[in-house]
Amino acid sequence: MSTYFIIAWRNLWRNSRRTLITSASIFFGVFFAIFMSSLQRGSFENMVDNMVRFYSGYIQIQESDFNQHRSLNNSLQTYQTFQQEIENHPLITQSSQRIESFALAGSDENSFPAMLFGIQPEKEEAISGVSKWLSEGSFIKSGSKDLLIGKVLAKNLKIAVNDSIVLIGQGYHGVSSAGIYRISGILDFPLPDLSKQLIYMDLQNAQEFFSMPGLITSQVIMVEKPEQVAQVIRDLTPKLGAEMKIYAWDELQPELVSLIDGKTASGKVVKLLLFMVIGFGVWATIIMLMHERKRELGVMIAVGFQKTRIMIMIIIESAFIGLIGILIGIGISYPFIWYLFNNPIHVTGEMAETYKSMGFEPILKFGINPDIFLSPAFTILIIFAVLSIYEIWYVARLKTVTALKA
Amino acid sequence: MNVIEIKDLVKIYNSSEVQVKAVNGITVNFEEGEFTAVVGPSGSGKTTFLNMLGGLDRPTSGSVKIGGTNVWDLSSRKLIDFRMNNIGFVFQSYNLIPVLTAGENVEFIMHLQGRPKKEREERTKEMLEAMGIGDRIKSRPAKLSGGQQQRVAVARALASKPEFILADEPTANLDSHSTTELLELMSQMNKKYNTTFIFATHDQRVMDKARRIITIEDGKILSDEKFER
Ligand SMILES: Nc1ncnc2c1ncn2[C@@H]1O[C@H](COP(=O)(O)OP(=O)(O)O)[C@@H](O)[C@H]1O
Ligand SMILES: [Mg+2]
Repeated sequence: MSTYFIIAWRNLWRNSRRTLITSASIFFGVFFAIFMSSLQRGSFENMVDNMVRFYSGYIQIQESDFNQHRSLNNSLQTYQTFQQEIENHPLITQSSQRIESFALAGSDENSFPAMLFGIQPEKEEAISGVSKWLSEGSFIKSGSKDLLIGKVLAKNLKIAVNDSIVLIGQGYHGVSSAGIYRISGILDFPLPDLSKQLIYMDLQNAQEFFSMPGLITSQVIMVEKPEQVAQVIRDLTPKLGAEMKIYAWDELQPELVSLIDGKTASGKVVKLLLFMVIGFGVWATIIMLMHERKRELGVMIAVGFQKTRIMIMIIIESAFIGLIGILIGIGISYPFIWYLFNNPIHVTGEMAETYKSMGFEPILKFGINPDIFLSPAFTILIIFAVLSIYEIWYVARLKTVTALKA
Repeated sequence: MNVIEIKDLVKIYNSSEVQVKAVNGITVNFEEGEFTAVVGPSGSGKTTFLNMLGGLDRPTSGSVKIGGTNVWDLSSRKLIDFRMNNIGFVFQSYNLIPVLTAGENVEFIMHLQGRPKKEREERTKEMLEAMGIGDRIKSRPAKLSGGQQQRVAVARALASKPEFILADEPTANLDSHSTTELLELMSQMNKKYNTTFIFATHDQRVMDKARRIITIEDGKILSDEKFER
């Protein structure tokens, strides 16, 4: 067996330039595919992470009609016993109650529609770390009557910390609600949509504003890892009251899921095309290689090499070409991706504005999951498996006499 | 004793409408220890004949018996093993595996035969030395002259201890000096090991050494003469 390796290895370097070019094309494909997948994965994870932390949570409990009709009329009583269940579940890391609604925010100058979130400040802070976006002023505490407001909204309203704004909205069962509130802090959210619309107030404050004491629209539940979501939902479902419904993040964010699915699919198409081009390139190399050695193969068969031995030798040789490409591809991309994973690229200048205008955080994050590296390697292996069928076919139908005359 | 018995051997090529009767009914026997040249003008069917005799090209009809085995009744796998164990080949040129050294080229066939390492190494050395190129054991074919390459090919053919060696125009690409040397060495090997050599050639120097000359033309034996040398 080792003799096959020796012959295959030496054959590999007979035309070292060709071998290197072929391996380089595989390296390029592997590297590009890894880079692309890593960037995609990183940005998806970041998007999900942002969305989950700022909007939906991994799991949400709502009144059963709230998801269809996001009206305060479909809000939920908070039961102490159920809160205890959540408190005690080992996989649940955080949980926070919210009121999500809308109001018109007005200043002396202007008025704009706003997303009004009634939150439990300390718990919400634990989930989204929202205070890190605080650019001016101070964060709110439980029981506070003050507001936190998105930077862009503040700018549009031409107001600053300690200024007052008027909120006008529709409360529980159509009660009209209005109030005047002081700005405690300004939040410079990375997500432009939030920055333009979001107002946070203490939950109790919101309950008063909307005239709905003791009611919430949703309860957000966080877990350590996305994989735990299903388990927690299974555990909580039997404990839910009749009017409650439980959702996983992907049910609450169908647009995000389809965006990710669409981008993943188009990424796959690009990678497929890339690997097809590389595959045909490698095939051309193998055709040349076999053709050049036709006579030599004829001599080998004449003097006593079984065709199966020759097939094995050629498959080993081409596997070397593939392995060199794969190993160098992974070897170079791993540290590269590892660096980018730990040092995400902050997009600046005009690019950053473009990102923001499309609703994305201006940052390029990278994923480093093992499958990002393994799946291009696996694709290359499949290509070589297919090519080895060609090699087997070529040797099998090779006529000794014809080969000798080549 | 007959090593090879050939009966009514025919090979017809059907290439695009024209039928070529490359070998047209040859019946002949070869004995152990022969040093025979199959001669004839280009296109007379020498290569086709040797290839059928060597188990490389399937005859249209007729039989080839080597040591009692009807080679064309063997399966293709068995036939390859049969060739490995019974027939040595020396072709016109590029006989050797380019990525193996002279020594490895000789040794490999014994490896395929499953001979022990010590025997392989000793025999490789012995054969290369017998062919006068013991010092080139570590050279790759590309570093050897045409004559040296042919000598390695003969050493390889002998190393597998075949019943006979088929050599199709082994001197066609060699200069006259190398031709004389190669012929002299092959003749020595023939005498020393009693190995049968069958050449296809139109080289006069080969004919001058041969102890039997079979002349073919249009795929038929024209004459079959023996000489004392
Ligand atoms: N594969 C083939 N297909 C068709 N005709 C062939 C083939 N091989 C040999 N021939 C023909 O058979 C005849 C004998 O060829 P060959 O045995 O090579 O002769 P020689 O070796 O004496 O020169 C020639 O006419 C040649 O053209
Ligand atoms: Mg010929």
